Amino acid sequence: MDAFGMGICAAAGALAFVAGASEDIDSDIGSQSNPNSQVQLAAQVGNPHRIYNKAIAGEPPSNALWCAVACLMAYVLIEGYHMPLLFAAVAGASLAALFDGVMATSAYLGRSASQSRFNQWIYLDIIRYTTPSIMAHVWITSFCITLIAIIQVYVLTPHHPFPIPVIGLIWGITVGAIGSSVGDIHYGGEREFQWRLFGQGLNTMLSGQIVRKAEAGLRNSIDNAWFCAKFGGPCTGLGFGLTVFLDNWRTTVFDPVTQAPLAIAMGCFFVIAMNVYNLYMEISARKKYGPYPGYKGDIPA
Amino acid sequence: MSMTFDINTLIYMLEIIVGGLLVSVGVHFVPVGGAPAAMAQATGIGTGTVTLAAGSGLTGLLSAGLMMSVTDNIWPILATGAVGSMIMMDATMLTGDFIYSYAVGAPYASAKVNYDPITMFPQPPYVAPGTVGQGIPTVCFVSGTIGALLGGVGGAMIYYPCMQISGNPASSAIFAIGIFFVQAVIPSWNIQGTIEGFHDPKFKKWPLAFKASLIAGILLAIMTVLIQPLGGA
Repeated sequence: MDAFGMGICAAAGALAFVAGASEDIDSDIGSQSNPNSQVQLAAQVGNPHRIYNKAIAGEPPSNALWCAVACLMAYVLIEGYHMPLLFAAVAGASLAALFDGVMATSAYLGRSASQSRFNQWIYLDIIRYTTPSIMAHVWITSFCITLIAIIQVYVLTPHHPFPIPVIGLIWGITVGAIGSSVGDIHYGGEREFQWRLFGQGLNTMLSGQIVRKAEAGLRNSIDNAWFCAKFGGPCTGLGFGLTVFLDNWRTTVFDPVTQAPLAIAMGCFFVIAMNVYNLYMEISARKKYGPYPGYKGDIPA
Repeated sequence: MSMTFDINTLIYMLEIIVGGLLVSVGVHFVPVGGAPAAMAQATGIGTGTVTLAAGSGLTGLLSAGLMMSVTDNIWPILATGAVGSMIMMDATMLTGDFIYSYAVGAPYASAKVNYDPITMFPQPPYVAPGTVGQGIPTVCFVSGTIGALLGGVGGAMIYYPCMQISGNPASSAIFAIGIFFVQAVIPSWNIQGTIEGFHDPKFKKWPLAFKASLIAGILLAIMTVLIQPLGGA
């Protein structure tokens, strides 16, 4: 273990934190993932809205595409044209953002047009100022992941044997999976249904009754990003950051050639610690919130 | 590189088949609630089965690939794949539970059992009205960790023979990713998209997916030993 390796490993963790947070906010602005089922349903149950709608693919495959595109371009520029690593990552991320802009625009137009029979409009102003902010977040995500891949392949020892685009593909799937399982809950479980009773999930009766009015005026997707950036985004970043940092840390501190069992044991320790911490949170949540009022079953709380 | 069939080829095929079966069984352990869980409407992780299994298994594949670049011993490779996969799955479930308890403000509860088989906590009083549970209680968390363990070992066990055949990390990784996805999709049909873990009644259906994955695994193994030598470094 050397100080330089540890610093680089920490930098990869920090980049992963930013990538996770921007990935989640991108999916919230675009309303891309699971909670979009409610946005899609809203117009059909008589609630046309001004929420962006780019759910043409799940988060993991689409993020895998952006990150692989960014990494591929960076790889070509580095290996073929000997460009500086940082410049190559910037160029790759810009290409990925352009790809995303095309997909987001066509998805919004297609999805909204298919709902015209439910009085859902296509808002050109929404396309004009929401698409660039989606692209900006995709730029940040793919830039950070390209840098993580570059760090793993060129800087951290031992160098990773996979080429940069394959690492980008895998981290893209992973960041999408985490964004879709963590950040989405804040958007779907809390932001979309703020007028129901606090402290419970969505009652099936309320499906499609999403909030359509904002703090001022009509709610659009930028308002959702403002809300989700406060907790859902950082939590996603924490999840992805922990994954990248803990996984790289154990092979940086313990040399995988001579100390492989220690690296594996350290990983097992992290896993057990997270299991115990979740048990603590479960007990604490049950104690603080208590059983739901009006429960009429036989089993005592 | 010319193709030769000997006892090693059979061992490679066996590893690919067994790795695929581990992935297939492992997916049954992962507590996925699908889109309803993202609205805190169902117990489990709020995303799709394949998504999550792939996210964790491929993180394990990255760790296993790194380990295989420094050693040829299969045991540390499998173990580090499992650990990488478990770290990803646990980090995801833990931060997901942050949101359930601190943003949605709901205790975690399973709707499939009356008492959590591990902690023995009663569940029904904590299930919100109009929902089928929310969050990831201890039994689901442990089950997800086991699922990630099997997925990580499976992914590494598919990568290992690919790498032995071709010696090319890039083509081996892509093959492992492809086989992983096939073996993760098959059990998703079996559990119809959502499951809570090993305590869920749907878990008993795993032998069906096992048989289907066995057939798919044999076909994939034959294709791998035929195609991988062509992608040699």
